[in-house]
Amino acid sequence: MTAHYSALLIVVPLVVAFMVTIAGWIDKRWCFPLSAAALLATFLASVGVLAEVQQNGVVEYFMAGWEPPVGINLRVDHLNGIVLVAIAAVALLNLLGTRPIVEKTYADRLGAFYTLYILLVTGLLGITATGDAFNLYVLIEIAALTGYALIGMGPGRASLSSLNYLFMGTVGASLYLLGVGYLYLATGTLNMVDLAARLPEIYDSRLVLSAFILCLAGLCLKMGFFPLHAWLPNAYAHAPSPVSSLVAPLVTKVMIYVMVRVMLTVFTPVFAFERLQLGGSMVWLAVIAIVAGSFLALSTRRLKRMLTFIIVAEVGYMVGGFWLGNRAGISGAILHIVNDAAMTFCVFLAAAAIQQRNEGETIDDLQGLFAKMPVTMAVFVVGGLSIIGVPPTCGFFSKWYLISGGLAAGHYGFVAALLFSSLINLVLFFRIFEIAFFEPFTDHHGGHGHGGEGVHGVAIEEAPLQMLVVMVTAAVMLFALGLYAGDIVEGFVTHVIPAGIL
Amino acid sequence: MRALALITVLMVGGLLFYGLPDFPDWGDPVSPASTHLSPFYIEQGAADTHAPNVVTAVLAYYRGYDTMFEAAVIFSAGLACFFLLRTFQQKSEETRLYRHIPTGVTLRIEEGGKTPAGSEEFEPIDSHWVPYDMIINMTCRLIVPFVQLFALYVIAHGHYSPGGGFQGGVLFGAAIILFAISHDLRSVFRRLQEKAVMFLSAVGVLIYAGTGVVCLVLGGNFLDYSFLAGMLGVDAVMARSHGILIIEIGVGLAVMAVMVMLYYNLSSAGRHDEGL
Repeated sequence: MTAHYSALLIVVPLVVAFMVTIAGWIDKRWCFPLSAAALLATFLASVGVLAEVQQNGVVEYFMAGWEPPVGINLRVDHLNGIVLVAIAAVALLNLLGTRPIVEKTYADRLGAFYTLYILLVTGLLGITATGDAFNLYVLIEIAALTGYALIGMGPGRASLSSLNYLFMGTVGASLYLLGVGYLYLATGTLNMVDLAARLPEIYDSRLVLSAFILCLAGLCLKMGFFPLHAWLPNAYAHAPSPVSSLVAPLVTKVMIYVMVRVMLTVFTPVFAFERLQLGGSMVWLAVIAIVAGSFLALSTRRLKRMLTFIIVAEVGYMVGGFWLGNRAGISGAILHIVNDAAMTFCVFLAAAAIQQRNEGETIDDLQGLFAKMPVTMAVFVVGGLSIIGVPPTCGFFSKWYLISGGLAAGHYGFVAALLFSSLINLVLFFRIFEIAFFEPFTDHHGGHGHGGEGVHGVAIEEAPLQMLVVMVTAAVMLFALGLYAGDIVEGFVTHVIPAGIL
Repeated sequence: MRALALITVLMVGGLLFYGLPDFPDWGDPVSPASTHLSPFYIEQGAADTHAPNVVTAVLAYYRGYDTMFEAAVIFSAGLACFFLLRTFQQKSEETRLYRHIPTGVTLRIEEGGKTPAGSEEFEPIDSHWVPYDMIINMTCRLIVPFVQLFALYVIAHGHYSPGGGFQGGVLFGAAIILFAISHDLRSVFRRLQEKAVMFLSAVGVLIYAGTGVVCLVLGGNFLDYSFLAGMLGVDAVMARSHGILIIEIGVGLAVMAVMVMLYYNLSSAGRHDEGL
């Protein structure tokens, strides 16, 4: 069975997704256990694949038994191995943690919710594991379509935001598809490794350049790279909280992985960095993204919206780090894919817990929350410190690699932008800590008449236990990822970067 | 904003034109697309799968993994529509029409009036009900079986001619929707409940993925139908051919059910009381 781990990783959740739909019509109580079992199996399979990659190098799986380029293959190496584990872990933890909210909110359509949830995760895993450029598009469709549905179910303006996301996401995916079509026209193959083998002869062809631009533009749109981010804040902020804590950590990160994969494996650094000399301008765009994302985050007082703008800035970190084109920068970008998934999950889950207990969504509504929800706020603090980049949380280490990459490349604008963004994050999070810690709890809805009496009247009213356990696990993960950052880079990330890059 | 959009569109258009000079000539036999992989599919396809239609061989066998997810995309679309639109609360009753079955008298009950719901002698009718639609009814009743038969043919004949699960499933779904439009939503519900539709859509894709899992259990790779040979009692080539048929049936079921599910939810805004 070990030979099939990489396939099981995708097949198990896919098959279970349809069973969950059926279970939803027979007995709703089966939906959650089935989903949890599927994601647990997926997580174990992803760890198994990673262990195999660690031992034997690249793991390949040929669908229908046909070797590429005839058939479609899954190809897991050190790069997507760790991304797969991150996706499976976040998806499983989020499923476990948000169960109380989901069962309360979607009691009448539980089967549909969990089916869409698992299909979204399947799509993301499939995008990450595949070795076929067209198959990647099909799975982007799955992940996007289920994402639109889940986001559109949120309260208030969620459906409008989801529609906007749908338009932009479709444009992005179509651009990527067009790029893949051009590549097929130029080479006659869709397999990534085969493409990389056939492209060098025709690097001068206009088709290849057009394909490159189309793919990159489409992916930038899908990952929310400033100024193509406009769909992101609304979609993620208005999404139902169990969904935003799944989508926000994973979707943009997976798209960044796709960019790294397409650049490293399909077009190869020779074309992307040396022939086109695109690195400098992409890094400057990333600098703009980081600065703009930070300012936008500063300009809003709504908690979830602020967090989404931080994501926009973080996308800039990773894109910039990758396009620095040196070893430290690319290591930082890849490490940050995993770290950012973990810390975004941590803060979004805490935000979900806060939003459930606390009505009102601005940061001014968080008054006295340390007294009311001590554990949740502690987790939020850890997540915040990691996003700021305080050691020993993981955020510090990826930022360290990114900054040393910037220094090595002599790109001081990028270094300055990273430091500036860290400072802004410091302001953002300490503003929240201050309000939540020092300002006394007031009942801002005024209904009960003990408003303004101070913290004495506040009873601890924590999130459900299940959610707390998951949140604390996520927070501990941030430290663990930080402490083992060196090992992750040594053990996995260095194998990814082609030897030509210093 | 409009200027910005125009500039973007012009830039994308310009990019598409920029690539144009390096396009292979139309129908060029030595273009990369016709020389790299296509010869293999054309020469081997029929021998490997016993399906003279190369497109079917590639879609359902060599690249069957893609097609499985395409079916899953369609399933997700149907499910998304259900998830977003379906409301289980009945709409606060406005004016309602009921027909007294023995006499054919139509009652119009204003908001707040007492409805004869539950009575055997009355049946609800749509608020924009057309009294005399016998010609439409009869015509559609005559057409529907033929459309369904043709749909089955398209699904089954995908190996030899253009067709297959997607096309056949759409035709089958269209037949049911035609019946729904010519009659009303309630008469379709009597024949095909919402639960059954959901069930069929999931089962359809499950047949596809499940076939893959069976191949995996029998020792092959996922979706390698030749490992079904022992179970089906045929040789490897025929096993692939049968495998393609099985997954086409699965796709057909799923697509049919999703078409109907989309119609149910869109036509009644998720309330499932009265349709178009």
